[in-house]
Amino acid sequence: MIRRAAALVLLLAAALLVACGGGDDGPSGEPTSEPKGPVIRLGTKNFSEQFILGELYRQALVAKGFRVDLKEDVGSTEIIDAALTIGKLDMYPEYVGVLLSEIAGQKRRPRSAREAYTRAQRFVRSRDQRLLDATPFSNSNALAVKPATARRLGLRSVGDLDDAPGRVEIAAPPEFRTRFEGLLGLRELYGLRNIDVVPTAIGEQYDALDDGLVDVAAVFTTDGQLNAGTYELLDDEKGLFSYQNVAPVVSRKMLDAAPGLADALDAVSAKLTTRAMQAMNAAVDLRGDRPAAVARRFLREHGLV
Amino acid sequence: MLKKEPKWLEAGGSGTVRRTLKRSITARTLVVGIALAALFGAVFLVLVLAIQQQRQAGRLALRSQEAITAGTDLEKSLINMENGLRGYVASGRERLLEPFDAGRRAYPRQVTVLTRLVADEPSQQAAVRRIASDIDDYVALWALPLVQLAGERLPSARSVIATGTGRRRLDALRAQFADLFVRERAVARERELRAEQRSDVAVGIGVAGVALVVLLAIGMWQYLRRAILRPVGVVAGAAEAVAAGDLSVRVPAAREDELGSLARSFNAMTASLERSQAELRRRTAELERSNAELEQYAQMASHDLQAPLATISMYVELLRRRAAESGDEQAAELLGGIHASSGWMRSLIRDLLHLSRVGRGELERETLDTNELLGQVLDNLAGPIRDRGAEIVAGSLPAVQGDGRQLAQVFQNLIGNAIKFSDEEHPHVTVEGVVEGDVVAFLVRDNGIGIDPAQIERIFRPFERLHGEARYEGTGVGLAICRRIVEHHGGEISAEGRPGVGSTFRFTVPRAPGPAAIERPPAPQATMAQ
Repeated sequence: MIRRAAALVLLLAAALLVACGGGDDGPSGEPTSEPKGPVIRLGTKNFSEQFILGELYRQALVAKGFRVDLKEDVGSTEIIDAALTIGKLDMYPEYVGVLLSEIAGQKRRPRSAREAYTRAQRFVRSRDQRLLDATPFSNSNALAVKPATARRLGLRSVGDLDDAPGRVEIAAPPEFRTRFEGLLGLRELYGLRNIDVVPTAIGEQYDALDDGLVDVAAVFTTDGQLNAGTYELLDDEKGLFSYQNVAPVVSRKMLDAAPGLADALDAVSAKLTTRAMQAMNAAVDLRGDRPAAVARRFLREHGLV
Repeated sequence: MLKKEPKWLEAGGSGTVRRTLKRSITARTLVVGIALAALFGAVFLVLVLAIQQQRQAGRLALRSQEAITAGTDLEKSLINMENGLRGYVASGRERLLEPFDAGRRAYPRQVTVLTRLVADEPSQQAAVRRIASDIDDYVALWALPLVQLAGERLPSARSVIATGTGRRRLDALRAQFADLFVRERAVARERELRAEQRSDVAVGIGVAGVALVVLLAIGMWQYLRRAILRPVGVVAGAAEAVAAGDLSVRVPAAREDELGSLARSFNAMTASLERSQAELRRRTAELERSNAELEQYAQMASHDLQAPLATISMYVELLRRRAAESGDEQAAELLGGIHASSGWMRSLIRDLLHLSRVGRGELERETLDTNELLGQVLDNLAGPIRDRGAEIVAGSLPAVQGDGRQLAQVFQNLIGNAIKFSDEEHPHVTVEGVVEGDVVAFLVRDNGIGIDPAQIERIFRPFERLHGEARYEGTGVGLAICRRIVEHHGGEISAEGRPGVGSTFRFTVPRAPGPAAIERPPAPQATMAQ
């Protein structure tokens, strides 16, 4: 009887202790085998093509053993350039023409892609940055209209807008209003005075066009939407929308700190033709694929990863 | 009685441990006590733990509230930054940048505080890390570049604001905050719930523990009752039986513990008592028989001796008369001596017979009026009282219960002695009676020759005489008879005195039953003097 009672007491005490004690589960460490070298802060602007370019460069660099911190959707040219200049980014892909007109503020139109690149390179070097090799593709600005509108208003080229009745509303990203390769250039170079800008998010110009809210949309020549032939581009006979090949702008400091960085990026840039870029843009914008997946597919196809 | 073996005697298990434990009540009580104390300690410990955990849960619940507050502060800093930024870009006035700078200075510390407060929830900690990183990005990749741009080209900065990048960043961050708060509130609720549960558990443990301790205490009490009190009760019952005179009682003594040895000692004691009692009875019976034989013998002897003695006395008297008639004076004188001696012998035998009769057989107990009794005694003693000119003073005496003839004998012997053993011209005797509880104490006081205190014991022995036969007549049996009668009544008799001053005899007799036990002061009532 005593032994039974004692056993009961012990059992009870143990049960109570177990009931009250909480179980701790230790953190399960995930194995990290980070490559060495400085972390490259890679920024991209705020639209699909930039997201794809960012993933292309990031994945290619990671495959080469670099450490990359991809900062997507930093913003428009003005803001991402400021971020690079004040040292918050190490690189981003920029359009040569935009660089020249919007950042360098050069209003003189380049006569060739080569001239544009050379001038842009000269400019960024003055800011302790380097322009790496440019892509074969050029994503120029352009003005798109629906074929029906073109017929109705007799539009063939940008200059024809001057003859359009009443005011012409152009759907465009907000920065279009303050850019030379935008409203400013249209006024200055083409002398257009009847133009208003309807600000839209990038990519939504096509919706505005489709919905009949506007007659004209400011677009990019590599937009996937232009693949289908449902839109016509107005002829830029005065060369306002210049050569917009993409070239990574990299701080010199990072180039020095990460040897082989330029080669790795150049290898990717060399493969980016207009057709390839348009196809990838279409995959993201029209099919809804993820930029990372699209980029990975492309890099695999071209043996870059 | 005790034919049936009590349950506690039934042998339990066969294990050695069990046997050892069974052996000693001390050990068993100790084990049960330690078990109780251990249980109590365990319950107490568990209760303390439960309360601690409840406290901990409460603290955590409070921490969630603090985390939400800290998060709100951080969000405010963020909104301040954006507002400052927008104000600056819209106006171009650097003064308006002040909220931005303040927010930028404040937020890293706020992030640290918030991170510490959500340290217990890894998912929340990750969320805070994400928020912190996004704020860093907001500052590094949006706010600072924008400030830079605004400083260089204000219109460009304004158009950049219009792109909505900053608003998107801010909205995304605020969504993260909202999500963080929702989850932190859920965490807080869960923690409060846990605190309540812990509290319930603590209360439950407390109640269950107390109930268990009480149950075990009751169990222990039952056990003690069964294992100790009941067996002790059996022995106590047996002891009562012994006290009531039943020495044949035995208690079961099969146990091997202290109670077993108690039972064995008890049994040994009763056995010994029984033997002693049997022996005593045997001896008493023997004594009674020999006593009775002796008394019968004495009675028979004295009775049988009387007749021949009377014949001898008669013939001697006859011879003495003839000798006197024949003128033989010498022979007559001798024969006279023989005659006197045989007379003395006859009174000796008579007293002996008397003594042997007193104190035998059943007493006749009746309520007696002592005053009346004393009156008869004084009538009987009228001759000596008159001869000696004695004065007898008696107060009102309480009624007693006893044999009237025998008690009268006591008074007669004592008063007679008082008159007899006095050289005074007028012997003076007082008789008093005082109620003392269940008895009446009588005092017979005189102014006679007194008694040597060293001789007092002797005077109550039969045929003991302190004084010469010639001076005071009597066989010396009177006081012995008095003692026998008083003791036969259950009383005591004693004497005190000093030679030449007088003596006092005191004896007690059961008082008459009933409420009439009124003690009256001894006031002179009957006086006899000649």
